[in-house]
Amino acid sequence: MIRLERVSKTFEGSGSSFTAVQDVSMTVGQGRFVSLVGPSGCGKSTLLGVIAGLIPVTAGRIELHDRTVTGVPSDIGYLFQRDALLPWKTVFENVALPLVIRRVPAGEIRERVQRWITRVGLAGFERYYPHQLSGGMRKRVSLAITLIYEPTVLLMDEPFSALDIQTRNLMENELLELWAETRNTVLFVTHDLEEAIALSDEVVVLTASPGRIKASYTIGLPRPRNVVEIRFLAEFTRLYEQIWKDLRDEVQASYAFTRA
Amino acid sequence: MRSRGRDRAALYAARAALFVAIVGGWEAGVRAGLLDPYFVSRPALIAGTIGEWFATGYIYPHIWATIEETVVGLAIGILAGVAVGALFAFSPFLSNVLHPLMVVLNAMPRIVLAPLFILWLGIGLASKVAMVVSLVFFIIFFSTYAGLKDVDPNLINHVRVMGGARANLLRHVLLPSALTWIFTSLRACVGFAVIGAILGEYLGADRGIGYLVQYGESLFNSNMVLSGLLVLMGFVAVLDIGLQWLETRFSHWKQKTL
Repeated sequence: MIRLERVSKTFEGSGSSFTAVQDVSMTVGQGRFVSLVGPSGCGKSTLLGVIAGLIPVTAGRIELHDRTVTGVPSDIGYLFQRDALLPWKTVFENVALPLVIRRVPAGEIRERVQRWITRVGLAGFERYYPHQLSGGMRKRVSLAITLIYEPTVLLMDEPFSALDIQTRNLMENELLELWAETRNTVLFVTHDLEEAIALSDEVVVLTASPGRIKASYTIGLPRPRNVVEIRFLAEFTRLYEQIWKDLRDEVQASYAFTRA
Repeated sequence: MRSRGRDRAALYAARAALFVAIVGGWEAGVRAGLLDPYFVSRPALIAGTIGEWFATGYIYPHIWATIEETVVGLAIGILAGVAVGALFAFSPFLSNVLHPLMVVLNAMPRIVLAPLFILWLGIGLASKVAMVVSLVFFIIFFSTYAGLKDVDPNLINHVRVMGGARANLLRHVLLPSALTWIFTSLRACVGFAVIGAILGEYLGADRGIGYLVQYGESLFNSNMVLSGLLVLMGFVAVLDIGLQWLETRFSHWKQKTL
């Protein structure tokens, strides 16, 4: 479970300061899949960084499973927008790294890494280096790295935004399948409303900079879902229209702000 | 594949032809009286001298002396460069205080230092090693510093989030990143190390390939000078091939440029 209590983050520059998020309070329940949507620059990524303990908060409090976050928590997974595979390690070595860090015995590492590599559909690519893989394959490796140590909380920062639309839909469906098995708590950041609705139990709309919570919507669409086909449901269209009305104003505000 | 093999054959043939043209032209020029052997010697004579050096074993202590100076200097220079580079990268305060000094020291032409080193450390091994270190240290220092500073912060966050402590970051992210920088500068380092050793020998020594060249010059013996230079060229070529091999072994993960 993730709980944010009146979290604010202000970045101090030389002579100027920028408030990325202001007074954000929200709760992501155990095993829930929640998406954060908002215009670019509304502090979505900052919120994830703050929860992961990578960015210190200016004010407010963050709790993970009822414990206040001070450093980087031990059981979170973070899928970055740009993949962060170590270029000097093979697929196998990259996926094994979280277990190596946790001093898991070598035999168990081999077995678990092999299982996860197979699970994300990359069996046979164990000895490849990241530069030899396509964008979609690198994302799969990142996903295996993030899930192999079984974190209870998953933070995802527009993980599929750099992929082409077909690969993207494929990855979204795979994510849902994996999540159906693991049922971790997921906070998913995206600027794509369709993606947010298709994946989530709940969609939270943030305002243009500085990011505040504007509204929150429960997505009651049935699971298991197929992210492509779910868009044909009347309920999906209704939710989309409803949330888009909130989001549109913020996108326009953000656009006006960047043009000014 | 076949045309590629033919291209290679043509390449080697052209290289051999160039070699024959230069050496043959030189030899023929001297024999025809167009070139004065007093100044430029003659390939056959040089080959004879080098052959004799190796046959009698005269050359080995000199080659060994140069190798020793180069290797000891390289080892010290690399270790010190990595250590100080890491220290600077991890301590911004130290870096800010000492960076101008480093830049100024590095800007100093090392040739003018050589006589000082000989004055301070004598004509033995120590002064040549100091010369080599003064060249190698700065190259390694700057590339270690850059390698550690240039690490993609995304990679660091990635490893921190999966539970990586400082030691893990060092071992899995910072060190490999620095190593790629150090390796790219290593070949340049070896070149400079040999120059440093030879320069030191040239200005004051009782052995080494540089000493041999200098001794030949003092006798106005162009044959000896050119033979010494040729041995030196062979020495550097062997070193460079070894380094190339090492480089391909350690950068196998890198994208090959097409």
